[in-house]
Amino acid sequence: MDATHEVSREPGGFAGESGADKIQERLQKRHQARAEDAERRKEAKESMSVAEEKGEYFSTSFNTERASIEELLSSCSGADRAVVTPRLEEATAKTLQLQKFLNDSMLFLTQYELRRAQAALQKLQSSIVEIREEAQPRKKFTFRARTKATDKVSDAPSPEADTPADSGGNKVDGAAESVQCRFSDLDNVCLTKTAEEIQKRDVLLTHLSNCKVRLFGSPSTLHLKHIDSCEILCGPVSSSVFIDHCTNSTLAMPCQQLRTHNTTDTKVYLHVTSRAIIEDCHGVSFAPFSWSYPTLEEDFDLSGLDRDRNNWSQVDDFNWLAAGTHSPNWTVIPEADRKTTWDP
Amino acid sequence: MGLLTILKKMKQKEREMRLLMLGLDNAGKTTILKKFNGEDVSTISPTLGFNIKTLEHRGFKLNIWDVGGQKSLRSYWRNYFESTDGLVWVVDSADRLRLEDCRQELSSLLQEERLAGATLLVFANKQDLPGALSKEAIREAMALDGIKSHHWCIIGCSAVTGENLLAGVDWLLDDIAARIFTTD
Ligand SMILES: Nc1nc2c(ncn2[C@@H]2O[C@H](COP(=O)(O)OP(=O)(O)OP(=O)(O)O)[C@@H](O)[C@H]2O)c(=O)[nH]1
Ligand SMILES: [Mg+2]
Repeated sequence: MDATHEVSREPGGFAGESGADKIQERLQKRHQARAEDAERRKEAKESMSVAEEKGEYFSTSFNTERASIEELLSSCSGADRAVVTPRLEEATAKTLQLQKFLNDSMLFLTQYELRRAQAALQKLQSSIVEIREEAQPRKKFTFRARTKATDKVSDAPSPEADTPADSGGNKVDGAAESVQCRFSDLDNVCLTKTAEEIQKRDVLLTHLSNCKVRLFGSPSTLHLKHIDSCEILCGPVSSSVFIDHCTNSTLAMPCQQLRTHNTTDTKVYLHVTSRAIIEDCHGVSFAPFSWSYPTLEEDFDLSGLDRDRNNWSQVDDFNWLAAGTHSPNWTVIPEADRKTTWDP
Repeated sequence: MGLLTILKKMKQKEREMRLLMLGLDNAGKTTILKKFNGEDVSTISPTLGFNIKTLEHRGFKLNIWDVGGQKSLRSYWRNYFESTDGLVWVVDSADRLRLEDCRQELSSLLQEERLAGATLLVFANKQDLPGALSKEAIREAMALDGIKSHHWCIIGCSAVTGENLLAGVDWLLDDIAARIFTTD
């Protein structure tokens, strides 16, 4: 790689204006030459009228489309992220299409029309970039004042999420056994995995209810699926933790990413070095990771996670992307209610 | 000279390619993109929308689009299909539970008309993990041998170590270049 940079405009047909203009000029010259040829062959009238017709069709369609993109973009100003994100995506896609339309039409456009269209496209593209940057989540979120107001949510009855059968699980499950650490289909037991059992492997817990699980050591990935009324504590996970269909439980783990789905009424004591996300969840609440065990430090080192970077309160709800208002689907556990001591 | 030839020539001049990177959530798309670009990969969050990176490689200008793979984002994938020269499908080789999901998503993508001309590179990612399936196992699970509609190739790689990322991208560029930039 010679040089890299973040894109500052949408990629379309042209890399830079000057290069594109040269090409356009050349194309235009070529077009003119062809037109003259045509004249000599006495097809002039016909071809000119076709070109005019096409040119008119082009500007009408181009301007209509441009206006509709502009409208989309202006409707983004002041709107919240939930609204802006899909609109921006639509505007991006439409702009790309418009660029393609221009590329396809350039043979019969005059230089002036081409320039104008290209300039209009560039304006659209830079507005999109601007709005996109504005819509980016701010680095730091603070939710201090809101915990009270949203406390209610965790008491709400948990709408039981439907549980579609895991597709394709069986085929490869057998093979997984040998390389994966797992517990499944257990009720009301205490379960432990040692650091030696876990080292850098994937850990999978499925269909557990009323269990206490202690996972020492540093897994590569942790999967929790169909968990009901359990307490699951886990050492530092070097990449992601997946939680799916978990209810009424208490979890604690450090990890790089947390991806939570279809989960209700669950408390997560979290250390996360990037961000946590929730999708199709209700009543999930978060507090900083507070479990400890004798070899935790070593496991942190092993996992490569940064001990000093914990974004436990920066949760993105994929079903609630509003910038100004807090998602009703998750809360911060008030300090007074946080668990500080854990059973062994 | 026909329109297509002229467009080809223009692209040749610019040597510009548009690559679209898709795959299930957690496959490692953003990590691949950042690693390829020499950036820190330890602070990557799940992608909420998309990332675009433009970079120069072997004299080509690559526009790489990395779109989030969470379920709620997959319906937006189609917004990015237009003008795609290369599709990079990223698989988490250790995620056995979702291989079938992964196969289905890929197979429906390949039916997309707007991706019909694109070259397909499958990255069997996370080969550094002890529990990762081999690229042959992924090839079978994804039913790649049944793909007749696209040029394709599968490469085992690791976004964390960087292993084989370059090899994959180089194959993709060569295949696309042979298709788009050949002089008439
Ligand atoms: N061990 C290992 N972990 C990886 C590799 N590639 C990615 N990861 C980890 O996998 C997790 C997900 O990576 P991302 O790059 O965020 O995945 P993504 O495909 O962009 O996910 P979405 O943005 O949700 O679509 C992170 O914790 C990465 O560190 C790899 O090659 N090896
Ligand atoms: Mg991503």
